[in-house]
Amino acid sequence: MSGPAPGSPGPSSDRIIRIQHLTKVFREKKRSVTAVDDVSLDVFHGEIFGLLGPNGAGKSTIIRILTTLMQPTSGTAWVDRYQVTRNDEEIRGIIGVCPQNSTLDVELTAYDNLEFYGKLLNVEERILHDRVMQLLEMADLTDRAHMPVRTFSGGMRRKLEIVRAFLHRPLILFLDEPTIGLDPDSRWEVWQQIEKLNSEKTTIILTTHYMEEAEKLCHRVAFMDRGRLIALDTPENHKRAIPAGDLIEIGIETMHEGLLPAIMATGLVKSVEAKDNRVIISALNGSRVLPSLIAVFEKFSMPMTSISIRSPTLEDVFIHLTGRKLDAGSGKNSTAGGRQKP
Amino acid sequence: MIRGAIAIFTRDFKKFLSNPFVIVLTLFMPVMYLVIFGNAMGGAITHIPLGVVQDQPYTTETPLFTAAVEQLKNFHQPDKPNVFDVTVYSSEEVAKLALSQGRISAAVIFPSELSADRVVRVYEDSSDYMVPSLIEGGISAAMAGTGSSNPVAINRIYGNVDYIQFFGVGVIVMAIFMTTMMGGAFALIRDRELGIIEGYLVTPVKRSSIILGTIGSTTVRAFMAGFIIFIFDILITGVMVRRMEDFLLVLAVIFIASIGVTSLVVALASRFSTQQEYASTVAFFNLILFMTSGAFYPTIGMPGWLVWIAWFNPEAYTVHALRSIILRGQGIGVIGTDLLALCIFSTFAIILGIATYRRTLE
Repeated sequence: MSGPAPGSPGPSSDRIIRIQHLTKVFREKKRSVTAVDDVSLDVFHGEIFGLLGPNGAGKSTIIRILTTLMQPTSGTAWVDRYQVTRNDEEIRGIIGVCPQNSTLDVELTAYDNLEFYGKLLNVEERILHDRVMQLLEMADLTDRAHMPVRTFSGGMRRKLEIVRAFLHRPLILFLDEPTIGLDPDSRWEVWQQIEKLNSEKTTIILTTHYMEEAEKLCHRVAFMDRGRLIALDTPENHKRAIPAGDLIEIGIETMHEGLLPAIMATGLVKSVEAKDNRVIISALNGSRVLPSLIAVFEKFSMPMTSISIRSPTLEDVFIHLTGRKLDAGSGKNSTAGGRQKP
Repeated sequence: MIRGAIAIFTRDFKKFLSNPFVIVLTLFMPVMYLVIFGNAMGGAITHIPLGVVQDQPYTTETPLFTAAVEQLKNFHQPDKPNVFDVTVYSSEEVAKLALSQGRISAAVIFPSELSADRVVRVYEDSSDYMVPSLIEGGISAAMAGTGSSNPVAINRIYGNVDYIQFFGVGVIVMAIFMTTMMGGAFALIRDRELGIIEGYLVTPVKRSSIILGTIGSTTVRAFMAGFIIFIFDILITGVMVRRMEDFLLVLAVIFIASIGVTSLVVALASRFSTQQEYASTVAFFNLILFMTSGAFYPTIGMPGWLVWIAWFNPEAYTVHALRSIILRGQGIGVIGTDLLALCIFSTFAIILGIATYRRTLE
């Protein structure tokens, strides 16, 4: 696989993708939809970078532009040392792509699918067979190598498609919603595989609208909403940015009117509310305030039916950033994606 | 039970009504069958080109010759145009040359003497369907009309050609069209529907390689289909190819037709996003092209507007070229025009196919 030539112009060595003021507007008749709205970001060499957002947030459009399937309306992006608007063929030689919708030929066997793509991806003939077998083993599909893909489960197909994108050892692997529609077991297996590929120093860009996926896999996460980049950081820093901190939920049987003011009076919590036989308290460090809270409950002789402390998730971060839940789509425009302009 | 049936009925009907293009073509097809099939198969064969010669030694036109030519020129069925277009040739050699080159369907040689026992010799192209029997019937009627009792000797220059042999050559062309229109194009549309083509686009493979690979594979399939039917024709219908150069010429015609038709079909398939729309359109194309190709019935028997379509129909040139080689043993001299037309068609189709397909890859 050809890497950047020594001394060649382009991004500094640690930045493998640079996106600058990228905008994509879809026009249809008199209607125009901004799918990507002035997005700028960098992706570093060797990281797993997540684009997180609801359906229609513009994640797949960015992937399509970076993989040269689509031209931006304005702005530009560099993949390694190549510009997406100029060097599309060079870019296709150094990337591997696993699109959202399957592009496997289900009538061919797993082996034939990989061998065929190996030829399209210019993998040398003499190492092709070994490489295919190696990847089939990586995907745990060795025993199914010569069975047609149509007999495979969703998870097996997805794993096959991901290793197919890795046939030519690309510098960057794009995975567009790699686990969409998979059951929890298959999803876990795909995650394992992605981590395995990343351990071979491949930069991985994945889009997802599953927060736990981003949380588990990604070194850095960019939140997208309605075509815009709304936040970019590591999952830990994202969570720290939430002022509410940890959430403590305490189950109760009866309510005492003095309870909530007494909890606030401890001075350790940020907010408290009662809801459906539960008291929900937010505090910066949940485990440290818990003994004081228990003391308050004892003072009012109120039995507690349950206690839980939860750290904020990326979902909470998204709610904090946008005021909406992740799976609620991007508001009214969720089907078209992005913001609408008249 | 009824509720479920009604739900399925409503869903199917809603889908049917949602595609006006398919509705129009589905209803239009039977009407087209009626008009094209009816006219192509049932037309009266008229204006058969006929050459007449008075035999040597030639001094002056004999009364028999003058009367017979007049009868032949005016021979017609009630309310129909004349059956023959008669050309008078100066010698038997010139008339036979015209016959061997396919410019006339028969040469009639009248004796130079008046005596009633002298034979009227007829050399006819026996490779066509219906035409030879019309010629023979016409000549008998003309002779009877002159009141002479000269015997008529019929020479079928290509032997007895059965309808299965006549039609078998047309089936070669049908095989080429079926393989590409049905097999190749459907596979292409399905690959696009399944996203397989999009998968190619994120690999370093060149757009031109995708086009070359697609057109190449379908062309080879079409060529193989045409070739296999050609072999079947030899084995089943008993047609003979006597010379190696004729055999190679047949392969060349099949190949040029295959690449042209494939490119045209790739262009068509690129314009349709669903298999259903493509299927409706291609059924229409298939009907009009095959019916006017002369594969079933001589184009000479079709009404003017269908003959006009045949002028632009690559299948008609392919059928004519193959019949000239396989049934008549004619060479490049006779099929030159067909080859030129096929080459022009194929070049145009390749350009169109590449341009249209490339647009779907951008």
